[in-house]
Amino acid sequence: MARKIILGIALTLILMMPTTTMFAHAETSPTPPPDGSNFNIVGAGSSFVFPLMSKWRVEYHAFYPGVTLNYASVGSGAGINQFTKKTVDFGATDAPLFPSDMKAAPGALTFPESIGAITVAYNLYGVKTGLKLTGPAIANIFEGKIIYWDDLAITGNNPGVSLPHARITVVHRSDGSGTTFAFTQYLSAVSAQWKHDIGFGKTVPWRAGIGAPNNAGVAHYVQLTPYSIGYVELAYAMQNKMTYAAVQNADGNNFVLPTIDSTLAAANQASNLPTANGDWHNVSIVNEPGANSYPLASFTYIVTYSDLSKLKSMTPAKAGVLVHLIWWMIHDGQQYSNALWYVPLPSNVVQNDMNGLAMFTFKGQHLFNYTAGT
Amino acid sequence: MITIEQRAEFRKHFRNNISSRQAMDKIVKGIVFGCVALAIIPLGSILLEVVRQGAPALSTDFLTQEPGAIGSDQPGGIGPAIQGTLMLIGMSSLVGVPVGVLGGIFLSEYGNNRYGNTIRFFNDVLAEFPTIVIGLFAFIAIVLTFGSFSIIAGTFALSIIMLPIITRTTEESLKLVPVTYREAGYALGIKRWTVITRILLTSAKSGLVTGIMLSVARIAGETAPLIFTILGSDNFFMAFDQPMDALPLRIWRLSLLPYDSATMQGWGAALVLILIVLTLNIGVRYLFLRKRGGGRFRITAGG
Repeated sequence: MARKIILGIALTLILMMPTTTMFAHAETSPTPPPDGSNFNIVGAGSSFVFPLMSKWRVEYHAFYPGVTLNYASVGSGAGINQFTKKTVDFGATDAPLFPSDMKAAPGALTFPESIGAITVAYNLYGVKTGLKLTGPAIANIFEGKIIYWDDLAITGNNPGVSLPHARITVVHRSDGSGTTFAFTQYLSAVSAQWKHDIGFGKTVPWRAGIGAPNNAGVAHYVQLTPYSIGYVELAYAMQNKMTYAAVQNADGNNFVLPTIDSTLAAANQASNLPTANGDWHNVSIVNEPGANSYPLASFTYIVTYSDLSKLKSMTPAKAGVLVHLIWWMIHDGQQYSNALWYVPLPSNVVQNDMNGLAMFTFKGQHLFNYTAGT
Repeated sequence: MITIEQRAEFRKHFRNNISSRQAMDKIVKGIVFGCVALAIIPLGSILLEVVRQGAPALSTDFLTQEPGAIGSDQPGGIGPAIQGTLMLIGMSSLVGVPVGVLGGIFLSEYGNNRYGNTIRFFNDVLAEFPTIVIGLFAFIAIVLTFGSFSIIAGTFALSIIMLPIITRTTEESLKLVPVTYREAGYALGIKRWTVITRILLTSAKSGLVTGIMLSVARIAGETAPLIFTILGSDNFFMAFDQPMDALPLRIWRLSLLPYDSATMQGWGAALVLILIVLTLNIGVRYLFLRKRGGGRFRITAGG
């Protein structure tokens, strides 16, 4: 009898061993979406990342036909708003969540999912890409203090470029925008006058120019308006063959064009990132030092709730798909970055995101058993 | 006795008199035709421009495919938007038409009192309401309550927009049916609801259909309330509680994009929207009013 019991216990232990070791071992990737089921993941926000997100939608759906990603490019401000109102599965924003946003959305997780550059794009007949602009000159143009293209602050750095005596039309964003956030953060860093007069934020009290919705809107307006200048994400400038400026770096010794390399150089300066559930509002990669660092670089973030059961339309299965989708974006999805002029995430940022993915729960159950690394 | 001279005199007077009148008649006629032409020119030029710009975009792929990645060389199509617009029209009509028609019957047949006047007043106010506010209302009432943008929320908003138009046109066209018909019905001992359904509604059918088609055309082109309710989507219909696309929304979004392919698709989508509204309008009129004539009465109201 006793022998039978011991045998039974031994057998049970042997049978259990593989499973326990499996659980003890951390997963390296979340479970992919099951075949034959349909999930629709809804996201809204940043237009900065829309070209990349749009590519991801098509590619992810090709790999996992049961999952459709639905992303509305409504601007970062609206994205955060819908996220705090819990009407979307994830929000996307280029401006980090502020303490006030964190208060409205307790338990938020922040995942940098890509890095991009903001170009200062202009529409000047006969002037090619690479007009050299200093930070203060950009600030003065957007504040309406530099009125004509042949102002000394512009011509001084551009000998040999013939600039017309024409009024500058400034095009800025009309909606709450993470691009505006990073752009004005930069202008506040380089111009005390700008910081005092206007400051930075997703929306700011503009003193000059016309407003357009979304990155796409600004790109469109600049293309349609002669002698105009605006700020758009690099992908929009490249896809639409716009001309854009080389901006003086933080060290003041070089004018840097926005490229994948110069943006990466800026992004590499970012260290000591907060954890996904931490406070990101001081994270910024504008005006980073380095001779080849483009000063107008920005992270773009996905924001979600760590406890996904907070969303009314969420099910455990769908939550698993969302975790896998974000995992896919920061790993496989990065291969599409270069072609769209976004910067693939550096490994330390991916690691940071992975630790964040391990924080996802649904009613207390962890969705991705990943042992946090450093 | 009137002499020949007098008669000639009168004739001369008459001719003098009438020539100035005839001249005036010609001038006024000219002005009226001019005004008609002025009114038609914008309509014609819009139609021409939309066809000219939109026709090159049309293809089977354009009408049936999901949109591709923006700015890529595969722009895809507007299939989900067409599906969404048709579904929204259908679902909103399912809610809006019965309620609107019943409301119109009430106002016309039972509404000659303070109660009816109050309803009529609020119905008119509702008809004048900015549709974006109705969209906001649907956002708060449906989207926030259920936690997702959905085609249901869009239907909710659009049926509210349809409702007052249908109610008002139904009431007006029922009122145009002479009272004597009602009396004739009662005199034959027909029940009141039979009089309403068999005599009044059939007599006023043309007006009713016009009102319904007006409201359908109105909601088919609405963008503002959809921004807050269906959000837009790049995928075909999945579930009633999921976001959906619609043509006006797609046109608006495409118009904001700086890509040439997006501009062309926008024109194409505009053309498709016009074609859908026209087809619906003509089709419904043909189906419902084909058997007109004979003993039926032609009453048109509301447009």
